Amino acid sequence: MAVLGILIDATLITLVMALAASGLAVVFGLIGVINMGHGAMLTLGAYLTWAATGAGIPFVPAVLLAALGVGFIGLLLEHFLIRYFYDRPFETLLLTWGFFLVSTEVIKIIFGPDFRSVASPLPGTIEAFGQSIPAYRATVAGLSLVVLTTIGLVYKKTSFGLRVRALVQNREVASLMGQDVSMLYKQVFVAGAFLSGLAGALIAPMLSIDPYIGNVYLVRSFFVVTLGGLGLLVEGTIVGSIVIAGSETFFSLVTGQVFAQSIVFVFAVVLLRFFPRGILASRN
Amino acid sequence: MAFHILARFDGEAKFAVVVFVLLALIPAALGGYTTYILPQYMCFGILAMSLALLWGYTGILSFGQAGFFAIGGYLMGLVLSGAIPFGGFVVALLLAAGLGYVVAALLGYFLFSAGVRDAYFVIVTLALSIIVEQLAVSQSQLTGGWNGMFVMRPEVDLVVAKVNLYGDLPAFYTVLAIVALVYVLLHVYTRSRHGKILVGIRENEARLTSLGVNTAWKKTLAFALSGAVAAFGGALYAMHSGFVSPSLGGVLFSTEVVVWVAIAGRTSLLGALLGGIAVSWLSSIISAWTPAYWQLFVGLIFIVTIVFFRDGVAGAIAQISRKRRSKT
Repeated sequence: MAVLGILIDATLITLVMALAASGLAVVFGLIGVINMGHGAMLTLGAYLTWAATGAGIPFVPAVLLAALGVGFIGLLLEHFLIRYFYDRPFETLLLTWGFFLVSTEVIKIIFGPDFRSVASPLPGTIEAFGQSIPAYRATVAGLSLVVLTTIGLVYKKTSFGLRVRALVQNREVASLMGQDVSMLYKQVFVAGAFLSGLAGALIAPMLSIDPYIGNVYLVRSFFVVTLGGLGLLVEGTIVGSIVIAGSETFFSLVTGQVFAQSIVFVFAVVLLRFFPRGILASRN
Repeated sequence: MAFHILARFDGEAKFAVVVFVLLALIPAALGGYTTYILPQYMCFGILAMSLALLWGYTGILSFGQAGFFAIGGYLMGLVLSGAIPFGGFVVALLLAAGLGYVVAALLGYFLFSAGVRDAYFVIVTLALSIIVEQLAVSQSQLTGGWNGMFVMRPEVDLVVAKVNLYGDLPAFYTVLAIVALVYVLLHVYTRSRHGKILVGIRENEARLTSLGVNTAWKKTLAFALSGAVAAFGGALYAMHSGFVSPSLGGVLFSTEVVVWVAIAGRTSLLGALLGGIAVSWLSSIISAWTPAYWQLFVGLIFIVTIVFFRDGVAGAIAQISRKRRSKT
């Protein structure tokens, strides 16, 4: 059944997009850092996975190492630059773009500018609903749900999440209540970088990796987060991903792949204009 | 006589005269390849000025200027190849500026009237850049797709004489004269009443609104003018380089412009012009032997500029000269 196949395809693409945008949803959505280095963090995650698997480390620990590595790079970035600019979000946009420029060149110097590939750990397909679904893509889509659920639970159910929500709602009061605000900022930023690295690592086997690979997801991630609504970590990210990634599947049924992407961007700009605070936020 | 005219100019304009005289002497001094290639960097300088007008004066950052540059470039290509069956070089330049103006005005009013600003506007301009690049790729029957489009240099019939732009020397002075004209017009514009309103929007938009200024409309006009200048520069570039490709409109080129302008000084048109010329010139020289380290260096300088020198090199020079003046 063709319709079912298209629906499954759209679901998988949506969930992979949601995973790719999750780090930005945390960093931009919660602490307002306009992280133009988000794409670079995805790229770094992919390259670190490539390096780790190349060194003989099995895939799963390699992914975790890559995510931790990007989290650590995020920690350095926050500590030496970003933390001085939380009051000036627009400067963080430029600084994180600077981070993108520098990290892209460092990647080229260390790993070379050529295409790399990470062997898929699950090369087969799953036969379900009369469809053959790529096994690895389906696994990553499932992991995307796990990651989003975890983010939601941490944000809504743990004391750390409570403190972060306090910070997001009112920084001054949170600080007066004895919260170490600058430490919370740092933790949230590093968590976002970790998530971006994790997403890059998991996406690595699906694409051929080059130093600009993360940029495919950079602008899309921004639209996902803004259209979903800042701070709506789970439901916003999913709704945004449906609009940005899932819809492309349907547009490409009637026109070429590249033109379908253009239509999605036009569609996203129009939506952003009419729902500047996000599709979900303005419904209330 | 010339001295009297000079005396009426402010500091930047005097400096500009020196810059344009020095640029005019370059073919005699360096000649050869420099005469051929420099006009293309001057077109990048026009692109940089279009961003300085928008970002430095009005406080609106655009990551999509290259999109307009490419629109102008393709339009020039279509006119000179005869795919658009009327007009020549001059008409194509004006058409490019007009098209850039209209596209930017429509997009600008659509967004500014709804209060889309700051980071959100930047994201939309990024999308614009991507859309232009993708359209250039997917509409290959018009644009040549990934292979790009070749543009023939024309012979231009000015009323007094015919100028054949095939030669590097006439092409050099034609481009230089046009760049100088664009600079002078923009310089006058920024000192006009409307230009001052733009600076007011940058400094305090809420206050201007309360003074009765329709800031959404003024921002739209600024973006439209900036789009027109960028597309104009792109058309000129296409004529001179003889080649347009989709990456000319892409995100990477768009953001390269932001880096030039940030380093050179976003609040100075002349700074942006020189920054566009100097950084792209240096890039092509140094990239020939160490591309990665040069880009790394540019990235680091960019970060240092954002952190410590908000107004870039031009701002730092202005500050030093102010300090000197206050000492004497």
